[in-house]
Amino acid sequence: MRRYSQVSRHVPEYSELPFWKKAAPMELAYVAYGLLVLALVVASYILGAANLLPRDPQEMDLQLLMAPPGTAGHLLGTDFVGRDILSRLIVGIQAYFLPGLLAIAIALTLGTFFGVLAGYRGGRIDTAITYAANLIDSFPRLVLILLIVAAFKPDIYYIMAVVGLTNVPVLLSLIKGKIQFLKEKDFIEAAIAIGLKSRAIILKHILWYNCRTVLIIQATLGMAEAILIETSLSYLGFGVQEPTPSWGNMVQAGANYFMQGKFWPSTAPALAILITIMGFHLLGDGLNNILEGKRSS
Amino acid sequence: MRGIPILEIESLRTYFYAKSKQAFIRAVDDVNLHINRGETLGLVGESGSGKSITALSIMGLITAEPGVISGKIGFQTDSIETNLLQDLDDYVQLTSSDGRVMEVRKDCTGWQKHVEGIMTKIRGKEISVIFQNPRSSLNPFIPIGKQITEAILLNSRINNRREARERALYWLEQVKIDSPRLRFDSFPYGLSGGMCQRAMVAMALASEPSLLIADEPTTGLDATIQSKIVDLLQQLKSALNVTTMLISHDIEVIKRLSDSAAVMYGGTVMEYGPARDILLVDRESKHPYTEALLASIPSEKHIKEKAYLQAIEGDVLDTINTPDGCRFYARCNRVPEGIREKCQYHEPDLREISPGHCVRCWLYFD
Repeated sequence: MRRYSQVSRHVPEYSELPFWKKAAPMELAYVAYGLLVLALVVASYILGAANLLPRDPQEMDLQLLMAPPGTAGHLLGTDFVGRDILSRLIVGIQAYFLPGLLAIAIALTLGTFFGVLAGYRGGRIDTAITYAANLIDSFPRLVLILLIVAAFKPDIYYIMAVVGLTNVPVLLSLIKGKIQFLKEKDFIEAAIAIGLKSRAIILKHILWYNCRTVLIIQATLGMAEAILIETSLSYLGFGVQEPTPSWGNMVQAGANYFMQGKFWPSTAPALAILITIMGFHLLGDGLNNILEGKRSS
Repeated sequence: MRGIPILEIESLRTYFYAKSKQAFIRAVDDVNLHINRGETLGLVGESGSGKSITALSIMGLITAEPGVISGKIGFQTDSIETNLLQDLDDYVQLTSSDGRVMEVRKDCTGWQKHVEGIMTKIRGKEISVIFQNPRSSLNPFIPIGKQITEAILLNSRINNRREARERALYWLEQVKIDSPRLRFDSFPYGLSGGMCQRAMVAMALASEPSLLIADEPTTGLDATIQSKIVDLLQQLKSALNVTTMLISHDIEVIKRLSDSAAVMYGGTVMEYGPARDILLVDRESKHPYTEALLASIPSEKHIKEKAYLQAIEGDVLDTINTPDGCRFYARCNRVPEGIREKCQYHEPDLREISPGHCVRCWLYFD
């Protein structure tokens, strides 16, 4: 047995370890799971583009309505007009992913930009931005979405733009609060004294080192939230419209048959929603812990 | 003994506008100092005497709304003198009526841009600062090694990351942090206060400045660490011959490290000259304030005779309503009856009483 005193002389140099060796296994598992979900999303795009889907998601087989999972040629069964559920499930994510990214991009860029402006400049600019944010915040989001749907058309990109915009106030106040809190700190003064420019200080010392975890968490949470909102809207019939497959309208279509004991048309997309949303949440969580480096030392 | 001056401060005035009182808080009021190359200047004084504000004024860190600076800070770089306060007046507008300052308007963004324009070549590259509180002056989210590397990349000719890293390790070694390679990736919260201060010193020295401002480098550290940091500064001083402006309220620290010293009170310099003339107890002709400060240091004599420590009566000067006379008059215990009037109503100026030794006191003027 080696004693501590023997070991302590040969401590490996910590700095040489890459970050994935420093991280706790559980965090890596979270991130890996999240990345797997992301990979599945990418895979679905590739499958769709390369015509490698098991079936055409729009093709109706009127001989095989509501076939249970495991029926020959239909691994997850068919729905009420005989379309292959697996194929529709694979294509279904495409209804969310790009629009979700759009929502996140809008929320992150606008939120960060105005948050930095309000936090660093302060004064009148801060007041104006905060009032505008409160104005957006005081609108009920669903009403706003339904308004847009009624005014234009039930297009998922319109909806996601609204979701992104209504997320701006949350991010804005988070970033603003952080900057206002941090800019009074001694180390910011010290950073100025080293000779850093104020732009470098905002971007590097405040945003990158102190807010990146907030941004990552908000991005992944935003993705999960966007998917949830879209599914709820599709379920209500306002989101992605039939015959384009989306998990929300698949659940909705299947729900009518759920009580008859035919659970598969709604259960499969519901599980897919669960798995995906959990994936994005865990990705954010894991990345947060690894980047913060708190549990690693 | 006059060497080549590197920093010359002439009638520096840093005021802060107090809206509720409609008056200025005169944090620094008419300070004249100069530091020669290779020399260490110590600034001593009670809290609130304007030592740190002097340092912040030099670095151009007075940016907040009410802060106003005037005077001249001449800084020598390669035989070119830059006035660090050039044209700063243009950004401030005063409105005053019958002795009251009604409004101070400061174009903060313009001011900040202007200061940044002057200071880009100076901050970090020519002047570095060691701040009061090592823990909070290091970014808590970045490993210390990385922070030092960043300073090196920014302020020296080295622009290769690997080389900068080696250089940072070298400086960590210079400030005697044990196993620097191990500490390189530590975050400030994982280090003790003394280690953080060493890291700060390393960061300040890493850019090889021509002037180092140490703003109370030993405050907030416990006594043993304090003396170690002072030892370190002393070693670095003799090894690297850095020009230093040392700010401290600890007279012992100043005594050990400085060549010349300035005693500050109420925002201005009371006594200024060679450190040994000013801070050794047995020298004659001192300012009463310096004398009182020295008397309040516990010494062997106090312990032997079980004597009480002498405290200076009264409070630190109210810098809003500065008196007409000597700033120290209210607390002075050496006012002779003959010149009492003079002390109370006329402010003395800083006059040279022996070569290199200036005092602001009527006692020594004929």
